[in-house]
Amino acid sequence: MTAVSARTGMTLRLEPQPGEVIDRNRPLEFTWNGQRFPAYHGDTIVSALAACGERIFSRSFKYHRPRGLLSASFLDPGCTVQVGDEPNVRGAHRRVEPGMVVSAQNVWPSLRYDVKSVNQVVGRFLTAGFYYKTFIKPQRLWPAYERVLRRFSSGGVVAKDSAHGYYDKRYAHPDVVVAGGGPAGMAAAVAAAEAGAAVLLVEEEYELGGHLRWGDAGQLEALRELRAAVAAAPGVEVMTNSVVNGRYDGNWLGIVQRNLPHVVERLVKARAKTLVVAPGLIERPYVFEGNDLPGVMLSTGVRRLVNLHAVKPGQRAVVLSANPEGDAAIDDLARAGVEVAKVVDGRRGPTIQRATGSRGVQAVECADGTVVDCDLLVTAVGWTAPTALLNMAGDRPVYSERAARFLPSRLPDDVLVAGGIAGDGPLEQLTEHARAVGREAARRAAETARSLCAGIPQIAERRAGPPDPEPAVALPELPVEDHPALFFSGTRGFVDFSEDVTAKDLIAAAEEGYDSIELVKRYTTVTMGPSQGKLETVNAVAVLAAATGRTIPETGTTVWRPPYAPITLGALAGRIFEPVRHSPMQPWHEAAGATPLVAGAWIRPDSYGDPAGEVRAVRSDVGIIDVTPLGKFDLRGPDVPELLNQLYVNKWSRLDVGSVRYGVMCAEDGVVLDDGVTGRLAEDRYILTATSSGAATVQEWIESWLQTERPDWRIHVTPVTTAYASINVAGPRSRELLGRLVEDVDLANEAFPYMRVRVGRIAGVDGCFMWRIGFTGELSYELHVPASHGLRVWEALLERGADLGVRPFGVEAQRILRLEKGHFIVGQDTDGLTQAYGAGLGWAVKLDKPDFAGRTELVWQSRRDDYFRLVGLQPVDGSVVPPEASQIVLGRRIAGRITSSRMSPTLGRSICLGFVAPSLTGPGTQVTVRLPDGGEVAATVMPQHAHFDPEGTRQRG
Amino acid sequence: MGERAPREAALVARSPIAPVPPATVEQGWEISARRSVAPLRLTDATPLAKVLVRAAADGPVARGLEVRFGRAARDADGVLVVGSGPGEWLLLAPPGAAPEIASRVTARADGEFASAFDVTHGRALMRLSGAPASDALAKVCAIDLSDAVTPDGAAVRTSVAKLVTDLVRDDRGGEPSYLLHCERSSGQYLFDALLDAGDEFGVDVDGFVFPGV
Repeated sequence: MTAVSARTGMTLRLEPQPGEVIDRNRPLEFTWNGQRFPAYHGDTIVSALAACGERIFSRSFKYHRPRGLLSASFLDPGCTVQVGDEPNVRGAHRRVEPGMVVSAQNVWPSLRYDVKSVNQVVGRFLTAGFYYKTFIKPQRLWPAYERVLRRFSSGGVVAKDSAHGYYDKRYAHPDVVVAGGGPAGMAAAVAAAEAGAAVLLVEEEYELGGHLRWGDAGQLEALRELRAAVAAAPGVEVMTNSVVNGRYDGNWLGIVQRNLPHVVERLVKARAKTLVVAPGLIERPYVFEGNDLPGVMLSTGVRRLVNLHAVKPGQRAVVLSANPEGDAAIDDLARAGVEVAKVVDGRRGPTIQRATGSRGVQAVECADGTVVDCDLLVTAVGWTAPTALLNMAGDRPVYSERAARFLPSRLPDDVLVAGGIAGDGPLEQLTEHARAVGREAARRAAETARSLCAGIPQIAERRAGPPDPEPAVALPELPVEDHPALFFSGTRGFVDFSEDVTAKDLIAAAEEGYDSIELVKRYTTVTMGPSQGKLETVNAVAVLAAATGRTIPETGTTVWRPPYAPITLGALAGRIFEPVRHSPMQPWHEAAGATPLVAGAWIRPDSYGDPAGEVRAVRSDVGIIDVTPLGKFDLRGPDVPELLNQLYVNKWSRLDVGSVRYGVMCAEDGVVLDDGVTGRLAEDRYILTATSSGAATVQEWIESWLQTERPDWRIHVTPVTTAYASINVAGPRSRELLGRLVEDVDLANEAFPYMRVRVGRIAGVDGCFMWRIGFTGELSYELHVPASHGLRVWEALLERGADLGVRPFGVEAQRILRLEKGHFIVGQDTDGLTQAYGAGLGWAVKLDKPDFAGRTELVWQSRRDDYFRLVGLQPVDGSVVPPEASQIVLGRRIAGRITSSRMSPTLGRSICLGFVAPSLTGPGTQVTVRLPDGGEVAATVMPQHAHFDPEGTRQRG
Repeated sequence: MGERAPREAALVARSPIAPVPPATVEQGWEISARRSVAPLRLTDATPLAKVLVRAAADGPVARGLEVRFGRAARDADGVLVVGSGPGEWLLLAPPGAAPEIASRVTARADGEFASAFDVTHGRALMRLSGAPASDALAKVCAIDLSDAVTPDGAAVRTSVAKLVTDLVRDDRGGEPSYLLHCERSSGQYLFDALLDAGDEFGVDVDGFVFPGV
């Protein structure tokens, strides 16, 4: 045992290796748990630490056992570390960078002496289902339990002020995606590209090559040739350090790309015409007592460490080998100067019993009883086929007893397999097969493209006739070689290193009746950790099969679902694109310091700092408000009156040019959908308005009528909401103000009375229209100005009206003004159940019209008397403003609710609109409003909705 | 660029997209005078006249326009006619030409029910040009932008950065170039989203140059 002090340098670094990926000319330094360590460019965090003699990189999830290197790859469960502010970094994959600050996660006070490792002592109580059984009762204590348990959870820490990285997204439409850049993946990609396909080749490691990278001279030569072929192939886009994370219907693939200089991660959403799955095989750990000790490694882990990073993995080794790859690891060890003390041949019967040691392997006890002192135990007992993408494509791989692994069964036409997942054989045979797969993938992609384009006439008409379909490429058969079935030795040892699930846990679960693999998974959380079954699924199945006396095929497997590899939330979120809408006056509002109100996608001025003052200005002088979000539709054609009659509950047959009418729309269920005014600007031109929030719904509603119900109507509807900047000029001096800016329209009351529309020129801008309507109850004009000139008119109104006391007012002031006037807002004072009569709109409903949307329901409602009604309400104590949604109660029953409430600056008292039960609608009725704090306040039902100027003299003046 | 005349005299139309300095006024529009030769360029083309034509998909107006849904082409006068929907066309012409274009189209109606509506002020229009234009757009648009599916002259209504956008491929000088057309109120948003997407390709703002179509 020679645990070298790391501070002395890279003492375990080997002489240069032929396939190494480190650059010895570029040394660097980083820190690990506060200590400085040397490394080379190309080192992973863990290879650099291992070169300095470090063996423990984390503490395990539940028992806080020391963990070291296992696979030396992305999925190595014991190498998850914190890098700066970034938690859960795969330390055996992430390349070390100068100055990188790396620390162990979830340890206290230190990695070496972790207090929480006492969990090992009480480990026998922490068996499967421990949390379920222990913390379920009493339920009220769960918050306390949770606080404590949270401290024991694994995982790193994210600071609250952590900077947001740039997580990118991109769409791609390749013909062929090849998942896996080993020899088979590279051969398939090149063949597909040579057959004319646009190919995306995705590889999880930093370089293409797979296992060839740690192979012998011949394999390294083959690797060079394959890489050159990929580089030379036209139309192959290579993504390294990237992973196909999920496959969805129609070959919709989620690819996480990490190899970009300018972004943290990028999620590529690719619609591949064909997918070639070539992930290779993952080496399976062996389950035995002590199998998680630092120093127990997979043969591929050892070969990576020696050949890619030139690190000596130990001093004295025992090797358990059951395949040629394991045998090759023995050669690598010998070349690295590791003394191979004993080789146990897994092909010849009993293997090893246990590994012992405290912070790492110190001895191995073999099945023949011999005990060998060593610091390294290498296992090569077989392979797991990572069939995740095949599962996601609907395949249920079948277990081959001969090969002791799962093989693909029935693949959809747009998914093919190549390499070790498909079968065995020498390199030449596998790459030959992969080339055929690549050609076939390209052929199938071309077929798909042909049929897709044929469905798009605009494309089809431009293309020459499709070439004759090519015959399918014959895919050669791949052999499947025999492999001994080695999964576990005895009933001890870890099955799931990420979740700290042991063989005993699985056996105990089976004894408790959880004998289905799906139940065992959920009960013990086996395969549910970050490695997601890639190391442990087959072992879990094998242990359960043995515990229940069944075979592996009888036991079945769990289903692999996305994501294939752990993914950051940032990558899933991507760039945040949330469309916003601004009026042409937005720069002015911003400069004026308006409080923004987010109203759907619109950003509107809520107030300019003093809503009550803004209200008073409108009542006494004049105010202007930006109402651009008001939905506006230009309607043209001879059948417009028919449409209006159909959409609105009131009558529209006779609307003279220059007139404006208020209308209410109901859905087919009689529920109030929207309201607004429609004006006739010319013989064949109407403008229909909708509420700001209802504009999109109204557009769909109109299109639905025109496209599906009455396509025979000759009407053209154009949404012009943003074509016009809309400004409401309200207040007793609005006419005077407008008179200074409007050139060719007579504004006198007789010439331009209430509910009329005029077209004219305002502040030098032609093509404006204005109508005399308003939401505030004051004399007011709504101006609609071609949007590019909106700001000009807005500024002109303020400039020319300064001596009149003109003020801008925001949405909050408008809401107060309209409540004073008793105007309801669809969606605020009505809800998804409010039919027209309940909203007090009976006066508008013309049941004598032969048809209109909602008529049948409204006929029914008109005959009933059992619905809540919208009424004006005033609290008896005018200083109390009951919050909106306060309930109105009658004894113990709910008898209504407040829908709108404000303090009225004009009346100096609180005012409301609300729904009340039929028995409470009489004017003067006193109702009880229950406040959210439990108190109650009395309110009086008013004779009408309007609290101010119910006769409407001000707006008609 | 001259002195700005008194407000009442000089009527200056403003795009929803704030002009990148230096700003100038030309032909009644406030525009950016910035010039760029970056590999990827974004131009606010809102000043172009935009006329929305509605007519039967197979009537006299449609035959006169000679562009079907999903395609875009220039007519004899250089007006870019975009088949933006079944029975719907968007005509893009030099600034100020809208009234004339509209009356020319409706004159062809020959009794057919057709309308031509000037939407110049109601829409934002921008152009993304340069070799990496398709790659930049692929970050915010899920459409297959390959030459096979979206060739020069293709027109689609799609989602760009989650916004309803009419996308027209209108190559210039042998380079990919896209016109993007959306509701005016979201013009600045779309412009900013395209700058964000184009950042890694070195996108730069290139001012509007008359006549611009």
